[in-house]
Parts: sequence; structure tokens; C-alpha cells
Amino acid sequence: MSNYQEITEKVIKGRAKEVAALVEQALAAGDDPLEILTEGLMPGMNKVGEDFKNNVVFVPEVLIAARAMNSGMKILKPALTKAGAEPVGRAVICTVKGDMHDIGKNLVKMMLEGRGIECYDLGTDVDPERVVEAVREHDAQLVCLSALLTTTMYGQKDVIDALKEAGLRDKVKVMVGGAPVTQAFADEIGADYYTLDAASCAEVAEKALKEAV
Amino acid sequence: MTGRERTYNILHFKKADRMPAVHFGYWPELLEEWVAQGHLRREDVDGWYDGGPKDEALNKILGWDFDWQHMFSGNNGLLPPFETKVVKTFKDGSRAVQNGNGIIERIQPGVTSIPAEYDYLLKDREAFETLFAPKMAVDIEKRVNFDWFRRFNEDVYDKTDVPLGLHLGSVMGSVRDMTSVIGMSYLMYDEDETLFKDVVDTWANMQYEVAKAVLETGAKFDFAHFWEDICFNGGPLLSPALFEELCADHYKKRTDLCREHGIDIVSLDCDGVVEKLLPVWVENGVNVMFPIEVGTWGDQFEKARKKYGEKVLGVGGMDKTVLRLDKAAVDREIEKMRRLTSLGGFIPCPDHRLMPGTKFELVQYYCEEIKKIEC
Repeated sequence: MSNYQEITEKVIKGRAKEVAALVEQALAAGDDPLEILTEGLMPGMNKVGEDFKNNVVFVPEVLIAARAMNSGMKILKPALTKAGAEPVGRAVICTVKGDMHDIGKNLVKMMLEGRGIECYDLGTDVDPERVVEAVREHDAQLVCLSALLTTTMYGQKDVIDALKEAGLRDKVKVMVGGAPVTQAFADEIGADYYTLDAASCAEVAEKALKEAV
Repeated sequence: MTGRERTYNILHFKKADRMPAVHFGYWPELLEEWVAQGHLRREDVDGWYDGGPKDEALNKILGWDFDWQHMFSGNNGLLPPFETKVVKTFKDGSRAVQNGNGIIERIQPGVTSIPAEYDYLLKDREAFETLFAPKMAVDIEKRVNFDWFRRFNEDVYDKTDVPLGLHLGSVMGSVRDMTSVIGMSYLMYDEDETLFKDVVDTWANMQYEVAKAVLETGAKFDFAHFWEDICFNGGPLLSPALFEELCADHYKKRTDLCREHGIDIVSLDCDGVVEKLLPVWVENGVNVMFPIEVGTWGDQFEKARKKYGEKVLGVGGMDKTVLRLDKAAVDREIEKMRRLTSLGGFIPCPDHRLMPGTKFELVQYYCEEIKKIEC
């Protein structure tokens, strides 16, 4: 068994190349891919998420850790698929129609993946209909919607309406976030959850998915 | 009293005849909306900019006294800026455009608010030294129109009765503008340890020299102003300790310079939750927080006042979104402003540029009502 603690530490420090090399070594040594994920990569990202929430680290540290986690995941993903490892849940994530900002959305995605949630990232400026299609296609239990602008935040409501129209609203939990979004706005548009930051989003998402099982 | 006198008095805890109606400009989409709705003519809005002739004319129509961003400075940007050019066109009609800061932004046709960062040029020391450092050179004769500033008092200052600001530029915000949030983060950790500090220092020193040269012409200003935008709704974009280490001396140097030239009001524009960076600013000579975004930290002005006393002044804090609603919502906001203005050293101003959906007649109503606040 490889030194998962070292992988964790390198994720926390944001050492992307070293994380990739360590994951490769672990796979070459015959380690269980799921174990590499849950014992090595995930604890690192979760620690960074927790520290971010508590103002111990800030956006730059989260971004470099996310990049490191991502470099490890790229190598690990084929092995996870081959091993048939089941994720904690499946989420469709995007920035809504008319909005092309993706830093917040990408942070949330990395935090979700850090908790073992499989993410289908539709990117930015996404039509409600594409979200509906993706929920169907991937049998997602969670939809995460981001918006940076006051002019685009109502796109989150459009997605919720489209999910209702498609008869999928009761099958998924909808989480909303972004700079102009508030709890009051989330309530107004009928979202299930609003969280202030990416780390809290991942925490709430994991809890919601585990409760739904 | 003039707008200049009112502002001076309020920000020095003295009596004024009434509250000035101050604003922070408009998103271009809103001006277009008002033209489409018939409130304004095309010629009223084309060529609008903060403090410009069109802005002053619009102030009269709407009832504002002045735009806080009525400011002047030498050229304290990248000189020359990078060429603005389209580097890619996407299927949906959006384009990747390289801007003057060397950032490549993805822009949708017809949308001007907050573009999405796509890529950036300042990735390593070589890019800094070959592409950016030459554009940050002081080269003062090219940056300051000395003749114009020597005539400034006679030609500009004495011909207006509203407060005029000296724009001091930025310390960290502009560096973020040259690297993007992601690029700034990577640059802090990926390169040699001194690169990020070198970028900040080179930039900040040039901006100091420009401000110094302008002030030495004898041009008069009522206040000075920094722009930062280095926070978001979760707090600072980088650690407060690092921010202090990199920026504190630069703030001190520029605010000391202002005070040496008789300017004791120094405002700073930073959106988002600024609380954790406030000590760095307050302890280094910045005393006016602007625009005090209500959605994120509006209620914190009173907390800051309690903590720092009269060292913290405010311009902003008015929830601009009520101007999309109705008179009752505006009245409620005016009541909130009444409470904040009673603290002294505070002038209400919309907490950012007025956005699409803002009702023309509610802005006029707000301007009438805010002027009724005693101070």
C-alpha cells in the first residue's frame, strides 16, 4: 500500500505534478483506485475545503489544491471506471444561461469531487433544456447552478422550471450559488439549498445525497 | 452650501445644510434601457462616462448632485496597453478578446458587465520582464500632461462646485486584472518566490510616481481614491497576511503623499466582503470605504465605525436594488440611510453602478428624498 498521507499533503500544498506522479506510482504498485481516491486525494481536498470555510486558507490555496486534485483525478479516473467504483452520487453542474463565469462553478466541482461526488460539468452559458437532458442522461440526483451576475441569476429559476416541466423536479435536489445569490433568492425560486461558499456546498451536497439513499 | 462644501463638512463631522445625492454611475445596459423607454435621448447617453459632460447633464435630469467617481489622474496604467484584439470567435457568437491588460476575456455580444476571464499573458518571469515591466516604466513625461495639470485649478477645479478626486490607481487589484483570479493564484505559488512581489512593487512604484508628479504641479483635489476590488462575497481573494505584507507600505506611501499635499480624505473602492482587509487600509491612511456593498457587508459599516471610530468614513451603503422596486422600498432604504448618516462621516450612495431594471422615476424620487436627510 502506498503512502496516502503523502498524496494528501501534496494536494493540500497544491503540488500538481507530484500528486500525479504519486497517483501513478500507487496504481503501478497495484493499489485499489478507490482507496487512492478516498484515502489520498479526498482527505486533502476536504482539508482545504474546511480550512477555506474557516478562513485558514483563501482562494489561491484552494485553486492550486484543486489543480493538484485534478491532476491526480485525470490519472485515476480510468482506473476507477474499470474497477466499477460507485460514486457518492451524481451531480450535473453548470453556470446558467447568459453567464460565462466559471471560477465559482469550478471550485464547487472540485469540492464535490473531493467528496466522491461524480460531476457532469456542462460548462457556462447553459440552456435549461441541456440541464434537463443531462439529468436524464446521467441519472443525476443533484443539480448545482452558478451565476455571477444579477442579470443572469434568474436563469437558475428557469432551470428549476424546466426540471418541473420535464417531471424531474422531485427526483433531483437543486443547489444554487454565486455572488448575487442569497438564501432569500433561493427560497423565492424554489431551490432546495443555497450555500455561501464551495466548501459548504460540497458538505451539504454530500449530506443530501447520503440522506436520499 | 456647494456639493464640495457639504461633502467636506460631512466627512469631517461638521454640520451641512443637507445630504448630497451622490451616485456611482450606471451599467451601459441601463442607459440603453432608459433610451428605449423614452426617458433619455440617444445623444444624452452616447459618450457617457463618470464625471464627464454627459454625466453632469444626466445628474441635472435625475436630481443627483455628483458622481463620486469624478476623478482625474495621469496615465497610471500599462503604457502602452496591450493591443485589444479578437483571438477567437465561438459558435454561439461570443468572442475571446485580448484586452489592454493582457487578459483574454470571453465576451458575449451586447453584454458589458463583468466579462469572464479566459486566459492571460502574465504567466512567468519572462512574460513579466519582456512584456509587462516595460509597460510599467515610470516614463513620467509620457504619463503626465504637466501643462494640463498646471492649468487644472483654473480650468477645472475652480469652475465646479462638486468634489473632485485624484485617482491613485490600485495596488493589488490591477495586478489581478493583469493575471485573472486564477493566474494571480498560480503566480503566487508556481514561480520563483519574488516574482509576484516584483510585479506588485514595480506596478505600485510607477503609480506612486504618477500621483506625486500630478500633485507637484499644484493641482487641487478634494479627495484621493484607490480602486482595488480584491474581495468577493466570501471575503478577500487572498490571505490578509499576504495582502498586508505585499501592499501595506504602498498604501502608506501614497496616503502620506496625499496628506503632505493637504488631502485628508482617501477613499477606496472594493466590492465584496472587505472586513478582513479593513485593518490594512485603515492603518495605512485610507479612511473612506466605498461603495459598501449592502448584499455582502452593508450592515458592517456600523461595526467598523465601532471598531475604528471616526477613522472610518463611508460613501455608499445604499441598496441599489430598491430602485428596481417601488417608492415604499425606496422609503425603507432612506430610513436605513437616516440611521447610518446619524453616525456622522457617512454619505449614502448606491452600492454599485445602477443596473438594468432600475426605474428612472424611482431614481428621481430617491434623489429628492435623500436630500431631505438632515446632517
